[in-house]
Amino acid sequence: MKIINVKLSIVALILLVLITAGCTDTSEEGTHEVSTPEYINVGLVAPLSGGASDVGNDMKQAAVLAVEEINADGGVYVEKYGAKIPLKLVEGDTQTSPTEGVTAVERLITNENVVVLVGGFSSGVTLANQVPAAGKVPYIITGASSSQVTRRTEINTSYFFHYCSTTDDYSQPILQFFVDELKPIVAADRNLKLALIYRDDAYGKGVIESSVAYINDNSLPIELVAQEKYPTDETDFHTYLTKIAEAKPDAVYTVGFVKDTSSIYIQGQRDVGLNTVYMAVECNEDPTFYELLGKWGDGQLLESKFAPYATEYTELMGPYKEAYLAKWGEMPGMMGADTYDGIYLAASAIERAGTLDRTQVRDAIKQTNEPEMLILMEGGNITFDEYNEISPKIFIEQMFWDEETEELKPVIVLPDSLIEQDFVLPDNYEIGG
Amino acid sequence: MTEITTLLQIFIWGLTAGCIYVLMAVGLNMIFGVMKVVNFAHGEIMMLGAFSSFGLYYYTGLNPYFLMLFSMVIIGVFGVIIERFGFRKVLGTGKLNEIFLSLGLIYILQNAAVKLWTDDIRKINSPYSSMTLDLGVLNITYDRIIAIVFTALILISLYLFLTKTDVGRALRATSQNHEAAMLMGVNVNQMYMLSFGIGAALAAAAGTVHAILSPFNPYMGTIPGIMAFTVIIIGGLGSIPGAVIAGLMLGLVQNFTIFYFGGAWKEAVAFVLLIIVLVIRPTGIFGEEQ
Repeated sequence: MKIINVKLSIVALILLVLITAGCTDTSEEGTHEVSTPEYINVGLVAPLSGGASDVGNDMKQAAVLAVEEINADGGVYVEKYGAKIPLKLVEGDTQTSPTEGVTAVERLITNENVVVLVGGFSSGVTLANQVPAAGKVPYIITGASSSQVTRRTEINTSYFFHYCSTTDDYSQPILQFFVDELKPIVAADRNLKLALIYRDDAYGKGVIESSVAYINDNSLPIELVAQEKYPTDETDFHTYLTKIAEAKPDAVYTVGFVKDTSSIYIQGQRDVGLNTVYMAVECNEDPTFYELLGKWGDGQLLESKFAPYATEYTELMGPYKEAYLAKWGEMPGMMGADTYDGIYLAASAIERAGTLDRTQVRDAIKQTNEPEMLILMEGGNITFDEYNEISPKIFIEQMFWDEETEELKPVIVLPDSLIEQDFVLPDNYEIGG
Repeated sequence: MTEITTLLQIFIWGLTAGCIYVLMAVGLNMIFGVMKVVNFAHGEIMMLGAFSSFGLYYYTGLNPYFLMLFSMVIIGVFGVIIERFGFRKVLGTGKLNEIFLSLGLIYILQNAAVKLWTDDIRKINSPYSSMTLDLGVLNITYDRIIAIVFTALILISLYLFLTKTDVGRALRATSQNHEAAMLMGVNVNQMYMLSFGIGAALAAAAGTVHAILSPFNPYMGTIPGIMAFTVIIIGGLGSIPGAVIAGLMLGLVQNFTIFYFGGAWKEAVAFVLLIIVLVIRPTGIFGEEQ
């Protein structure tokens, strides 16, 4: 009996300690002395492994560079602590998977206590992994184009900021380019025949839906002669392209990532004989894309908002390219540039908020009105609209194969403010493919 | 009305895709036929074959089709090692152990490949990439022709090996009845290693052909691995002629499905075909009753 009483006392004591511990106010507000944190944890959400790991690696390398640059100056000044605090980049690997992405973001929020999240690549993956952050942690999304990431209604999107072009943003310049630049040359007296080939995922469908809506809403003189979607792991595009070739398009608009888009360009021209104009979307602005295409990219098009191979159209481009090359030994890609800006934007917001409180940092991001960085903005300043979206300046590049250096290099052919040379038809172009 | 040229062209695309399935499925069936082991990591062995050819190509710059032979030997030896130190240890201890060993190998091999070669997208440049054969009604690239011819040569060599040599006969005997083969003096353990080695070498050939035709990375083996399983079930477990017929059939059916019904049906049609075959003939086209 005595032993049972002792045991009960011990259990009661443990429970008491646990309950009291649970009641202790450990928040910063609950303590009299405010101790300065050693670091400000910033979460990087990126596909560091899996199918899109090449892009994820670029995002990581750019983020590391930005954090090192900020920390070289002592870090970010936080008024509440009256001191500069260095940033600490905490990686969350989505493994290019919606499920793994959710786990990664949950870990960053609960275990790593990040103040802000930066990154997010692939709309399908990001639409899933933003759920655990909804209404809790500011998330600067730098690599998912579906406008749904900030416009969905079933979760609280007030903490999400879209720091990249949306599918709507780039449908317009691409289609306008076809109408204004290509149609007068190849289809002056008829509608331009356009074929679409796209990934069968949220991203591909988002771009296609925006494009079709833009054509219809603006009554563009474009006839969609083929629309082919392919599984995201597809590597063999011959039959899709043979079917497209049957429709005799004047141009092919591709919506895919580096591996699939480069295969479409090559297999279309080399194997199927579909010698037409191919247009790729901006996530292909990556050194690997140029390497894979080689001479098959000659005369072909790429929509982009960051062109490290083209002329240095912004003064930040040179130093960034140099620093990136020096640190990583390779050229930067576009997704990395978005992420680099995203880290600086997060740092600036924390400084302006003067605290590490997530809600106040969210409010500071929302109120951003600062000069553009690597990604050019319409109007020159970074601001977020009612959907928490920026207005990036989009351009179209035409790639040319240099026989001497055996390299594929782009020049900007749109918009007029950045143009390097006028668009010309590829040498192998055949009307109707 | 679709032109006959277009249909012929799709037939060629289907045939080439089928060749990769055939090489994968014949290798998988060799392993299953002799050892009765289901190797879910066969797609990853294919991926290692692609990277092995890529590595040889990167350092020597020689013709990748020539290097494919070396890659087949390297990966064949690797297959022998996996059999000897992996599958042999769990053989007969229960199917679950074999399955989980091969599932574990998927992750181990993928991660090892990422560590060795990174996740970057690679490609092997064929010296024939710009050359096409003009047949009047259609053009076929040399790489496609080589892929088809290589597959045929490999299968003929395998057939001759299995039917005309003592070792080949011993391998077939082991496949038919382990105990009887053992009583006739066949070293069954050696046959296990050999079948795994040949299976891995064929996967390496499939990986190299795939890597010459398309860019690749360490995750390239997943879908071909799944499709190879579909092929061997359609063709009949353990049947090499079944794997050849079913592999070509799947390549053709998938490509004609893409043409007529769209890419969304590409993978679904493989399983539609599988269900149809199993309903009509539960053992697969060439499968035998146990």
